Amino acid sequence: MAVRVKDLSFSYGTQPVLAHVSLHVPAGKLCMLLGPNGSGKSTLFKVMAGSVRGARGHIELHGRNEALLKGAARARMIGYLPQFHQAVFPFAVEQVVLTGRAAYVNAMPKSSDQKAALKAMQTVGIEHLRTRPYTELSGGERQLVMIARVLAQEPQIILLDEPVSHLDVANQIRLLGLLKMLARSGITVLSVLHDPNIAMLYGDVFFFLKQGSMATPVNEAAPWEGEFLSDVYGARLESIPHRGMALLVPDLSRGNDAHGTR
Amino acid sequence: MRVSRFFLLLILPIPVLLFSLLVGPRGSVPPAAIIAWLKALLTQGISLPDPTLQMVGEVVLNVRLPRIILAFLVGGALTASGASLQALVRNPLVAPDVVGLSAGAAFGAALALTVPWLPLQPCAFVFGLLAAGLTYFLALNRRGVSIVSLILAGVIVSGIFSALLTIVQVLGDPFKLQTIVHWTMGNLHNATWSKVRSAALPIAVGAFVLLAMRWRMNVLALGDEETRAVGLNPEKEKLSVLIPATLAASASVAVAGIIGLVGLAVPHMVRMLVGPDNTRTVPVSLAFGGVFLVLVDDFSRAITSFEIPIGIFTTLIGGPFFIYLLKRTRLGFGE
Repeated sequence: MAVRVKDLSFSYGTQPVLAHVSLHVPAGKLCMLLGPNGSGKSTLFKVMAGSVRGARGHIELHGRNEALLKGAARARMIGYLPQFHQAVFPFAVEQVVLTGRAAYVNAMPKSSDQKAALKAMQTVGIEHLRTRPYTELSGGERQLVMIARVLAQEPQIILLDEPVSHLDVANQIRLLGLLKMLARSGITVLSVLHDPNIAMLYGDVFFFLKQGSMATPVNEAAPWEGEFLSDVYGARLESIPHRGMALLVPDLSRGNDAHGTR
Repeated sequence: MRVSRFFLLLILPIPVLLFSLLVGPRGSVPPAAIIAWLKALLTQGISLPDPTLQMVGEVVLNVRLPRIILAFLVGGALTASGASLQALVRNPLVAPDVVGLSAGAAFGAALALTVPWLPLQPCAFVFGLLAAGLTYFLALNRRGVSIVSLILAGVIVSGIFSALLTIVQVLGDPFKLQTIVHWTMGNLHNATWSKVRSAALPIAVGAFVLLAMRWRMNVLALGDEETRAVGLNPEKEKLSVLIPATLAASASVAVAGIIGLVGLAVPHMVRMLVGPDNTRTVPVSLAFGGVFLVLVDDFSRAITSFEIPIGIFTTLIGGPFFIYLLKRTRLGFGE
């Protein structure tokens, strides 16, 4: 297991966000975390990445206690790509990617760090953007740059919070293909996605959060069956069979009008 | 292309400082006399018999040289401090004077000038850090620091420390009042070797730490969350930038008063010359910021036979220039 989360609870002030969450993420798979807005997906990632402290419960990353991981050991273990990123200074793309090496660098990056950054850019396919100012790139290109930055960090586990939310269909396909490839190369990828169809088409393993707790489908291998997803999202969905699985669309016959059915 | 420009900017101080030795108020020592003195010095050694040449030597070594070196140190310190603070809060509109740091340091220095047992440099640093810290925490909320609240907090903190400075002036020794008033305006004309000695160490230490942190500033400039994601603690890194930046800026305020707009405008010029990468911006800020202030000081020395405080000068020429830049380019603002 790459990640073991046991009985994790967290609240912002008095507002509970996560309640007794447990999940096991297998190594080297592309795993999808799904759930409606405000269900605690981003918070769960922040707790797992160590960017938010004060949660109760236990997190193990490849058998090691998350709370005790520091510095380079932590960077080598888990990388985290926060939601939409906005830059102020027009750094060159290679400079942005190089900052992924921060945990390994004392004062100035060495040539080994430059090499790791270059390799990450090659993996993602953005070498041609190397000297371009980050602020002048399109949303899709920026997302690829931030993924290259995480790869430059060389972690075993990568958490991505809504990596495709600002991308068009072609860029979504490109990015998910890339994530799939990373998982095949042995990196554990756990991603929050909004679109359940994209998640089902590309994912190996699925997790569902609803109001801060894990929800488990009756048939874990086929979460699209039955009313499970309608229930998780609080919206009427209709499944349409597609290549041995099913795609979900809004069910317009059951009162899914502008007011919804929540 | 950029590499060669980078190195040219780093060696620019050498010719500029040498040239500045020749510049002085009209009717004083002309360049020809200085060249004659230099020739004599090189051919006859230190002990010059000619009293005119001795007088020239006195002017060069004890009036112009300390002033040029002080201007260079102060300009470099303010610019590097401004550039670092801009990376720290991820906003190109921040500078030592904007966040109240200069006003705090000025109050601390004035207090030390009035109260005999207070040491000048530590006092300026403590109050500079207090003011900058106060501004930061006033502006801080759960979602981070917004530039509007930061600038408003800076205005408030600057106001408080300016008021305290006025109290020091009112209550202090009337014989020292004129000194303090002149010094507050941002002044280099009574530069001495002792002022150079007083400022050199804190500025050197501050500059050294900022140089060591210059790549980390690139990491910090991307955001708190992004910094944490790659395994650094953003709060710790920010303190390691804020403290040396305050040390360098406070030291320059302690010896030269508030020289406005240098820490705000010159980092922009530096970024236009070498780009936003702080591994270049910080060293070039030290060199080019110093050169900038030395040249402004040369100008102010040469055009009039009386002294205009340099702080008034930098604000008068820097203000319109900065507005022009704001209107004309985007100055490294994202989006």
